[in-house]
Amino acid sequence: MKTIGLLFNGVWSHYTFATAPKYKELIKLIYIHDFNEASLEGLEALIIPFQSNQKAIASKKELIYNFLSKGKKIFVEGDSSMEWLDAKWEDRPTNNYWWVENPNNPPISETDFTHPIYQGLSARHSCWHTHGAYTAIPSEAKSIQKHPNGEIISWETNQYGGTLFATTLDPIVEHGVQQITHLDNYVDKLIYWLSGNKVSGTFEVPKENYGISIEC
Amino acid sequence: MIQAAVISNGLEGLHRYYVSNNLVQYTVLEIDQYFNPNLDVFDLLIVPNGSDHIAMAKMKDTVSQFLNDGKALFCFDGWFTNWVPGNQWIMSNDKKTIDIRYRVHTDTYKLFDGIDINKLIYSHNISGWWACGYIEASKNAEVVLEDTWKRPIIVLDEKTTNGIMILTASGPLGDSGAIPSDEASSYTTLANLYQNMLHLIIKKKNNENHRITF
Repeated sequence: MKTIGLLFNGVWSHYTFATAPKYKELIKLIYIHDFNEASLEGLEALIIPFQSNQKAIASKKELIYNFLSKGKKIFVEGDSSMEWLDAKWEDRPTNNYWWVENPNNPPISETDFTHPIYQGLSARHSCWHTHGAYTAIPSEAKSIQKHPNGEIISWETNQYGGTLFATTLDPIVEHGVQQITHLDNYVDKLIYWLSGNKVSGTFEVPKENYGISIEC
Repeated sequence: MIQAAVISNGLEGLHRYYVSNNLVQYTVLEIDQYFNPNLDVFDLLIVPNGSDHIAMAKMKDTVSQFLNDGKALFCFDGWFTNWVPGNQWIMSNDKKTIDIRYRVHTDTYKLFDGIDINKLIYSHNISGWWACGYIEASKNAEVVLEDTWKRPIIVLDEKTTNGIMILTASGPLGDSGAIPSDEASSYTTLANLYQNMLHLIIKKKNNENHRITF
């Protein structure tokens, strides 16, 4: 049963992630330009991935906060906009090569490994790279991960009713890209936290998922 | 000067990579719920990395007509929907990025003149950083660049339609570089390869304008 919605703006990595056999029974793709109240029926959680259309999301922010007020969970990854999120995200250079040049020094210095997403993860599995940082977070939010310079990478708050978790990591996009091979560790824990469902196995996308046509 | 339309999916940074200059006037077309732009005034349609392939599929017929009018398409993204005539992008994780190397296959228009191919292969000594997956190319298309397993990575197709398509397997390119390279020399290479492609489109348009018909 699909209990996790994924707000989708036609980006290929979102599509490959949500249609992969490993996750497709749990994930409902919601095209952002068709997003409405009915889209959220039956869902317990919502994912807003990196490379989303922030302007389109901002225009529908009431739907997001209404969902949250019902005690649901929302996971936001990558960048975000102050037009809909009460936090300030800022761009930073992305370090994709620390694991080659300095493998024992990932670009995260603090992680709250008691958080359900991070319980049991190794340091390397809890960070591959980050896309920017948060320089301000909501008033009641707590930091989950920090950069060595003190900037916040991941945070969580319950002040809107449900649980809002935001991170500048990009597990959904990178898992969809299929080039970081250890991401099953992070994403499977994330899926369990969002839905209560345990998933296992490897991430693959069948060739027939490509070249699809769209009903207009 | 040519007129180019750049499809925007509302992502951060797009405007930095497509700045109008004396060769090309860029018009950014923002996708919304009812997106179906009139492309008649444009010579070139650019679909950059991170684009919306649901929106593109919905305007498939518009793109097809645009190409059949003799215009040009650059697609630098992974089109999982079937809106690109005759060619299909496929993602696959059955090859390891550490084994990825590129080789120029057929380059009739010399798009790789002055391009150090190693800058596309390696960034910070990591290979496979630029493109993703491969293209199932039309049998009439020219495979400009192929990977270790002879899979098409850059395709030039001027046979499937009346126009010209230059497609990368989700390898980002832009007028002044492109995401995601943070290494200066690779960043410059992305811009230079794009400029070679742009000059081809400009040259073809000029030839078209100077053609005498009887």
